[in-house]
Amino acid sequence: MSENATSEKLTIVAALNRAHHQLMHEDPSIMVIGEDIVGGAGLDGEELGGVFGVTAGLADAFGRSRVIDTPISETAFVGMGLGAAMTGLKPIVEIMFCDFMGVCFDQIMNQTAKARYLSGGNLDIPLVIRTTMGAGDGSAAMHSQSLHGLLAGIPGLVVVCPTSPADAAGILKAAINCPDPVVLMEHKGLYAVAEECDPLLPKVKIGEGRLVHEGSDLTIVATGQMLHRSATAVELLSARGITADVIDPRTIVPLDEQLIFESVAKTRRLLVIDEGPEFAGFADMVITAVSSKAFHALKSAPQKLTPPQTPVPYGRTLEAAWLPGVEDIVNKVDEMLYDS
Amino acid sequence: MAELLELYKKAAFVRAFELHLAVAADAGHVPGLIHLCCGAELFEIALCQQLKGPRDQVTGSHRSHGIALAMGVDPVALAAEIMGREQGLAAGRGGTQHLMAPGKGFLTSNGIVGGQVPIAAGAALTAKMMQAGGIAVSFFGDGAANQGAVFETMNLAVALDLPMIFAVENNGLGQSTSDGYASGGADMLARAKGFGLKSFSVDGFDAEDCLKRTEEAVAFVRNEKKPAFVEASVPRLTGHYHGEKSVYLAHHETRDPLEELAGHLQHEDISVLYKKLEKQAHDAVLSAIKLEEAQQ
Repeated sequence: MSENATSEKLTIVAALNRAHHQLMHEDPSIMVIGEDIVGGAGLDGEELGGVFGVTAGLADAFGRSRVIDTPISETAFVGMGLGAAMTGLKPIVEIMFCDFMGVCFDQIMNQTAKARYLSGGNLDIPLVIRTTMGAGDGSAAMHSQSLHGLLAGIPGLVVVCPTSPADAAGILKAAINCPDPVVLMEHKGLYAVAEECDPLLPKVKIGEGRLVHEGSDLTIVATGQMLHRSATAVELLSARGITADVIDPRTIVPLDEQLIFESVAKTRRLLVIDEGPEFAGFADMVITAVSSKAFHALKSAPQKLTPPQTPVPYGRTLEAAWLPGVEDIVNKVDEMLYDS
Repeated sequence: MAELLELYKKAAFVRAFELHLAVAADAGHVPGLIHLCCGAELFEIALCQQLKGPRDQVTGSHRSHGIALAMGVDPVALAAEIMGREQGLAAGRGGTQHLMAPGKGFLTSNGIVGGQVPIAAGAALTAKMMQAGGIAVSFFGDGAANQGAVFETMNLAVALDLPMIFAVENNGLGQSTSDGYASGGADMLARAKGFGLKSFSVDGFDAEDCLKRTEEAVAFVRNEKKPAFVEASVPRLTGHYHGEKSVYLAHHETRDPLEELAGHLQHEDISVLYKKLEKQAHDAVLSAIKLEEAQQ
């Protein structure tokens, strides 16, 4: 936090909203594009400000020429964002839920991800795709996925999953000037998380993880709402004298492997907790990195805790059982420490 | 007539470039397959010569060598990219289907049928925001016209008043499938009208019609700041890709717009002129062949 700044308690929604206002004020080439981000286009009621409120007030402040509600046509407007980024604008394009990437995947996988490389590095792609991820709110199979691992497998994309207000805003600010396109994944279940922040919301460097909690018995790497659940679990474990390093990678690609290796060198045990798939997901990527590059540090087999390999279920009990919970984390840690 | 002669010169160069590239491919100088634009030159050049990069931007399909040349891309750098050479447009990283020269107004070609069309909408958005009179053009074929990306972008461009031209080159073939078979309602202009797009029909075999209609379309988009749809009938004189045996065609299209223009020009030394242009194209291809392959 910068000196003399009075800190301010902000939610992730509020921090992101303020960061948008600050960025658009500073840089006239920044555009915000998406479905219902203003809301009420062609109608006579009040504006919506986005489904989660992240884009509230932007149209009033900067006009509808820079804050553009689109038809429900993700392929067309993601491609439009890319073309605009290739020709001098800095678009922030919102895909309401990452599940909707299914309908515009060509523009993400083939067009956006590859454009900078195919230009021979001559062209920067200052495009930010903001989207939401995560289960826990009864949105079920097509509005709840965690696709960061899928996106991470596409060369050319930077993928970030912030878990705090300061990180969400600070990473957005770094992303808008990143030469590679950035997919910013906001966990729906964390929008209301509030923390004291520097009101200037300074940039957060892409590619740097964060050690959230220090300990010695094992290293937990966790993303999204799993980070918050891990922090709670670690509190419970500490009452029994078990301590853990908890790492928030923040950036999925490029992953801060060094931070993870350093921690594992100290604790000699690794547990990755992630809401992505059990098979071929982010958890597997982290385990592969540690197993292949820091194998000698490990005292026992690296472990992961993820939902089962099924679509996200709908019913409350089903969904709660599907997501790794605090108790699951505690049990997994016990299993690692006492069964090995 | 001077306009037609200029059009002929540019088109003849493109034709010769493609044919010499085909020879280079046969000799093993091209890593992959190339999709030649023979037959579509007049329409492509008539439209592109009214554009100026980087204010105006064009996106094209897998069949974009001629459009890149029409936008003023250096023929040696283009050939070098197609051959995977270090001195290519993208140092050999992209190749024939992924050509990029935005400084010249050739934003990108594309390996995904129809994938280039939404990107042009972005260039049109930039042009709209810059307010410098720029427009975007996306070339695609009748095959791509059945892609959702194209329909979505036609709708988006109307909804957002984007200054762009949807330039469909209708050769009646999507690879080896006819438009009559593949299209539910093969009348492209009727589709465009359904989206509220101002539409123009161009006879791609007729040089004068190419010039006249494309001028009308560009003037409409620049002046009205709205999108337009242009459909040109063009032949595909070579296969889907060079070297393909077009067994699915019992007889090939025989009319050639370039030859017809040559006949129409009544130029006394048209064959001498063609030879001169052909030598320039040949030299460009030969220069590229001599360049080093991209290594790392």
